[in-house]
Amino acid sequence: MVTADKLDELQLEPEVPELDLSWLNLDTEWGVNAEPGRKGLTLQQINKTLYGDIPATSEDSSARPRGAAPPEGATPRMTPWVLGEATETFSESAGLLYDEAVSRQWSSATDIPWDTLDELPEDIERAMAQLCTSLTEVEFIAGDVPGKWLPRIAADHFESGLFLMSQVMDEARHTDVFRKRALANGGGLLLQGGGGGLRQILEAEDFTQMSSMLHILGEGFVQSLFRLGELIAHNEAEKRIFRLAAQDESRHVAFGVTHLKYTLDNQPDKAEEVHWTLDMFENTIVDPDQANPGLAGALVYLLGDGDVDEGWRLFWHVRRKQVLEYLHRLDVAGLGGRLESGRLHPALVGALDEN
Amino acid sequence: MSENDVVAAAKERLEASGLPSDWLDTPVHWGVKAKEQATPENGGLRFEYLNVDVYGEVPEYWENNTEIPRGAIPDTRTEQMGYSIFNKSEVWSDLCAGLYEDAIADRWNSSADIPWESLEPIGSDLERAVCQIATLMSEYGWTKAQTTGRWLQEISYGYIEVKLFLGTVVFDAARLYEVWRKRALANGGGLGRGGRNWKFLPLTQSYTFSEFCVASIMHDAMLIALLRHGEQLAQTDAERTIYELCQQDIERHLAYFVDHMRYLMLKEPIRREEIHRYLNKAEWYLAKDGDDTLYSALAVVMGDGREGAEEAMADVAELRREQVETYLGYLRQCHLGDRDDRLNEELRKWAGMVELEEEEKIPV
Repeated sequence: MVTADKLDELQLEPEVPELDLSWLNLDTEWGVNAEPGRKGLTLQQINKTLYGDIPATSEDSSARPRGAAPPEGATPRMTPWVLGEATETFSESAGLLYDEAVSRQWSSATDIPWDTLDELPEDIERAMAQLCTSLTEVEFIAGDVPGKWLPRIAADHFESGLFLMSQVMDEARHTDVFRKRALANGGGLLLQGGGGGLRQILEAEDFTQMSSMLHILGEGFVQSLFRLGELIAHNEAEKRIFRLAAQDESRHVAFGVTHLKYTLDNQPDKAEEVHWTLDMFENTIVDPDQANPGLAGALVYLLGDGDVDEGWRLFWHVRRKQVLEYLHRLDVAGLGGRLESGRLHPALVGALDEN
Repeated sequence: MSENDVVAAAKERLEASGLPSDWLDTPVHWGVKAKEQATPENGGLRFEYLNVDVYGEVPEYWENNTEIPRGAIPDTRTEQMGYSIFNKSEVWSDLCAGLYEDAIADRWNSSADIPWESLEPIGSDLERAVCQIATLMSEYGWTKAQTTGRWLQEISYGYIEVKLFLGTVVFDAARLYEVWRKRALANGGGLGRGGRNWKFLPLTQSYTFSEFCVASIMHDAMLIALLRHGEQLAQTDAERTIYELCQQDIERHLAYFVDHMRYLMLKEPIRREEIHRYLNKAEWYLAKDGDDTLYSALAVVMGDGREGAEEAMADVAELRREQVETYLGYLRQCHLGDRDDRLNEELRKWAGMVELEEEEKIPV
């Protein structure tokens, strides 16, 4: 057996790497002096240089940072396929949204005033626990989806990649904070939802289709709900959860809207494909068979604070707002006219009726 | 009115309104009050404090292929979601929940937390060398985020702590990517030459999560050994801070990867030879990649310019030796100490280890 002393004896001088200084004479863009702005040295600041030129098409499937010189010698294909067209994944706001995500990270452990959770009546605690069970489930999938797409983002379009990486983090925190709320105040986890269209988002094999479902319709509805969190919350802790989560969702929705806009501006014939995707996804989320029974009941119950009639009234108020904001986002993205052309699902059209 | 009466009355109102009410009286594990541990001294309401009663029971085998939260009541109508990892031994580490909260507590912002104003002109060769290092660091950050992210859709909610932690790894890797890109573009320089990427294939090609973990241990160990030299390599406070913050992140990642592999080796010792095969592959690609631009750039930095680079190569070789030893050290923590005898021949030379005679090899 070899002892430690013996090993010391066996130690040789380490091999010296070959000195290759050819990289000192590259013809990459040189002399760049990005300067910090009001918010520090953001991606926006470094993208003011030539390194901010975004190729419409990327031929590079490696991890080489945009603007770097290619390596000498053969390089492997890193992933089976990469989405090289900017229209497939890019958003002109992605860098900005990433910067914002980094500066607005929060902690569910310390930024929520958990000490404000007072005992709630059993029915209300159950309703909140049910809502949080459904939300932790939804947010779980919302984190899987960007993870799935990360290997397909071209390094030349890294801003979208960075944004998706920040979304993975945000969704982890949402999964975590709703689980925490369910288990924090004398409750527990209740019934699983019935899918509610989550699988369709995971199944999508086109980034723009996925983003239209996840970011614009799915997270758009969630964001509209969270922004009305005051109506659901019973204490400062719950209000803070909804407020902070809504802030994160706003970034995700903004990415979806700006990505779709970029795509449609540069590839208008994609519009029908996105319409078709939304036809399918709207149909799924209003399908009673797909509905999450616990979520709807708990939401109505919480909105009315136990008064079911009042809860229904407020539920339709929320739903109307969700649909109006959804249509507005599509307008901004350049996909207006779903209501006027009769494509909006009748159940969502019905939600617009103020009565 | 008693609590039971309150619930019964609520059910009645919901049913009268046509709403489902099963959720109100479904038998669940009730009465968990995690908030009671959420004190400032305890770090607030950390995820570890949720793991009580049935909610903290992490099963050896998770049977549900939907997104059902651990501890919730299943809805049998829900579609399968395509997860592929159902064995605790494949992903687990007891450290995950804590590391997840630590990552959030340690969060930093490359825009505002780096003293960029401390950057100052450092001479053309040095700037080029720093930018070359920065380019390769960015490249690894990108690869790390992409390859970690793809595992999220494979892991079921049964092991939620692992997924939450991996979410922080993805986010940390994003920052590793962008903070070094910023450094390259902030001080009169630009990006250097990309790497050959062959060494990353064991990360991108892994078929099992544990295969990905051991390849990550190798790459992260090589990186951490370099980052620990930040004080020596940094030219300014800005770079010093970057080295320190990146080191803090990578230490967390290694803590998980190592603890998970230790868990796997204890639970499934039969997989030892399989894991060695993954290590054979990872080391072979690393050695064969043959991209010396990192070490040459380090030599220019350590030699304070191209004139001193030749002489500094001895120090660089010492650093590379430390990298290999660091890697082997982490493997020993995983109960894979027998790797010392099976290390790739090229890496053995990097570490200054002689080829042991057959009879001197430590018995496995």
